Amino acid sequence: KQWYQRRVAITAGDEVVAKSRFWYFLRQLKKVRKVNGEILRLSLRSNTSPTKIKNFGIWVRYDSRSGSHNMYREYRDVSRTGAVTQCYRDMAARHRARAHSIQIMKIESIKAGDTRRPLTKQMHDNKIEFPLPHRVLKYTKKSLFVANRPSTMQ
Amino acid sequence: SSGINAEWPLRPGYKLYFEHQTNNAMLYQRYIEIGRVCYIRLGEHAGKTCVVVDMVDQKHLLVDGPMSGVPRSTIRLNQVAITDLKIAIPRGCKTNKVRVELTKADISTKFAKTSLSKKAEAKEAKAGLGDFERFKLRVAKTTRNRKIRSTVRKLKKSS
Repeated sequence: KQWYQRRVAITAGDEVVAKSRFWYFLRQLKKVRKVNGEILRLSLRSNTSPTKIKNFGIWVRYDSRSGSHNMYREYRDVSRTGAVTQCYRDMAARHRARAHSIQIMKIESIKAGDTRRPLTKQMHDNKIEFPLPHRVLKYTKKSLFVANRPSTMQ
Repeated sequence: SSGINAEWPLRPGYKLYFEHQTNNAMLYQRYIEIGRVCYIRLGEHAGKTCVVVDMVDQKHLLVDGPMSGVPRSTIRLNQVAITDLKIAIPRGCKTNKVRVELTKADISTKFAKTSLSKKAEAKEAKAGLGDFERFKLRVAKTTRNRKIRSTVRKLKKSS
């Protein structure tokens, strides 16, 4: 009897979702169902260097209302999982794509010189600085109505 | 630098809209930059100071506060208030370097002198008042206000 063994890297919020997505992707690779298969190992891969900011390029395949598309997206974050979280939120916001219709194909930490998006590139400045003009902060304890307008200077 | 050249005659009592801006050296004094000392307003480490070590994006900073007990972590800009203090560190430098530069610049004593720190202390002191202390505060306030109001009234009457 031939054994088929495959390891898949899944980004998920918890084990249950991870296992479910594992079977989803595996079914696309090999004709095997959860009933006929067995998960040998589920292990958590921890994020490397969680205090170093990296530029992540994420290759996404997602289903829109009228078709399926590939995308390359860039996010700056401290961890792979953080970048993927950003990606899911971003896809939901910009393309109304729900998690079930998104497939993360590849996540890669990219050197600053190889980044493509201006939003990522603008942070690549060793002398980066910006003021906070007209800073509007949420009222935590102050009353909703006050006699004088609050100051918006930082 | 006032490069404003008003060619039209100003009516007496009218000021140019942007005249007060040109009198300042810079319109914005405090910048979010590498090495800027920040005060954490909200979150787990509220009330502590930290240093901006790197910037993730426009809304998140990588921050480190080895002297004040803030671990090297990302923080939202919302959670932070900028101070006037700044140290010279390279972008993304290690925690030890931050600690060395903080002690060299003596930020802890400098921060204690800022109005932000004093206000935070005063707020904390007020929150820690007992019932008797609050009574004493109230009595002190009323006696002071009474004296002020009576003096003002006297001055009004005499003028």
